[in-house]
Amino acid sequence: MSASYFVRQQLVCNRTWKAASLLVPGLLICSFASAAPQPRRQEQHFKVQAHPVITLHNPNGTITVKAWTKAEVMVISNRASDDVEVDAEQMGNRVDVSTHAASDNVAPEDLRADYQINVPEDAELQIHNDSGEVNVANVLGDMNVETVAAAVDLEDSAGYVTIKTVGGSFQCTRCAGKLEISSISGNLRLTDIHSFHVHAQTSTGNILFSGEFLPNGLYRLKNYSGIIEVRFSPADSFDLSATSLKGKVINEASLTPKAHQQHFYSRFGNSLFGTFNAGRAKVELTSFDGTINILKRD
Amino acid sequence: MALMTCRAFLNDLRLRMEGTPSLDAEAHIRNCPSCRHITEDLNAIHSAARSWRAEEIEPPAHLWASLRLQLEREGLIRDDRGSQLELSNSGWFSRWFAGLPRPALAGGYLVLLIAVAFGFSRPANRQANEARWLEGTQVSTSPLSAQLTAEQVSFASFNDSNPAVTASLNKNLAIVDNYIALCEKSVQEEPQNEVARDYLYEAYQQKADLLAQMTERGENNR
Repeated sequence: MSASYFVRQQLVCNRTWKAASLLVPGLLICSFASAAPQPRRQEQHFKVQAHPVITLHNPNGTITVKAWTKAEVMVISNRASDDVEVDAEQMGNRVDVSTHAASDNVAPEDLRADYQINVPEDAELQIHNDSGEVNVANVLGDMNVETVAAAVDLEDSAGYVTIKTVGGSFQCTRCAGKLEISSISGNLRLTDIHSFHVHAQTSTGNILFSGEFLPNGLYRLKNYSGIIEVRFSPADSFDLSATSLKGKVINEASLTPKAHQQHFYSRFGNSLFGTFNAGRAKVELTSFDGTINILKRD
Repeated sequence: MALMTCRAFLNDLRLRMEGTPSLDAEAHIRNCPSCRHITEDLNAIHSAARSWRAEEIEPPAHLWASLRLQLEREGLIRDDRGSQLELSNSGWFSRWFAGLPRPALAGGYLVLLIAVAFGFSRPANRQANEARWLEGTQVSTSPLSAQLTAEQVSFASFNDSNPAVTASLNKNLAIVDNYIALCEKSVQEEPQNEVARDYLYEAYQQKADLLAQMTERGENNR
């Protein structure tokens, strides 16, 4: 064996140790990295095409969705604990986001995530949030929001909007398009509305409608108890039918009585039927034992 | 040929009762049970009226004399033997209306009979209708009510992992139960009240929705 052989062997050996000294910490780092929990705040971006669909299923938390001009969806999530996981994945032009428990034994207050989501303005939203809040602004696509106790606040929408809550309140400002809202005990507040179709129903909550009655529009507000308040302007034109079976109907509109036979319901409870201006929109207000107020808008 | 409407048939009814029915009216009653029943009732009334007239009993002659004397005494008639008020012993009832033309008298008589018949039948019909409405509502809601109550018993201690959800669902279930009770009371009081019935059906729908949500959550929490 020559000296050069030993030198070469030494070099190989040195290189092996060097490689090992680099590889082992690298592997250790990798293994630690894979075992480490997700950071509680995550930001994810998804490139989308026109009219993307975004679905979000969350048990508890504050969800804020805003429209922007980019053709992408950005999801920023913030988990309340490491016992909760957030999944966000893209399937074609759909982005699915969900929150779920990472273990079998999670404290109720830990099963929570807050979201801030930016979407193109033509996006379609499907949101389910049991408790907390849902705030959506400037999204013009269709949306469906379902909650149990979470309040829903909508601004500047334009699509076909369906909202269903059990006890959560609903507020809508400057909404257009078609609105269908139902709740059991939530209050419904609809202001500066420019919608041609509004169907709002709650059992024990109050309903406020302040907006334009568009020609050929249909506005149907119904509750069991509580107050239904409708505010009209002198330029509005609608055909009104208001019935409260056990409660009162208070009216400030100068209505022209209908020439033809009254509605069947007029035999029961306190009813008011008539036409305001040309009667272009149809307004139906019904309550079981609540008060119906038809008031002039300031 | 356009079929006659019920309204047109009823307008045409007087002609029919005078014995000149139109072909359209005949065709209409063959197809319309409601108008056929009205016609049958009117025919029965008409026959009964004719039989009463045939059975009219002549009062004794002295009754006319004493009645006339009494009317003269009270100044209601004058003793004018040549006048049309001369009473004879033939058909006192028809003499009262002797000045009226026969068709007008027949029409008035028919209207009076119909009004009396409706007057007697209306309260009975109303009660019968209300009973039928109530029965119909109960038939449609009783099985649903029983099913929902059975379902609710299994959720006596519903407890979701999210306390806000548990509280909201339990609270709103109590609201809907109260709402159902009040609607049922209202339907009992006014069975024909369609608004009250609509509210009752909606309340059951809401209860079914709530219980479905609770069932789903109960299964997911297991």
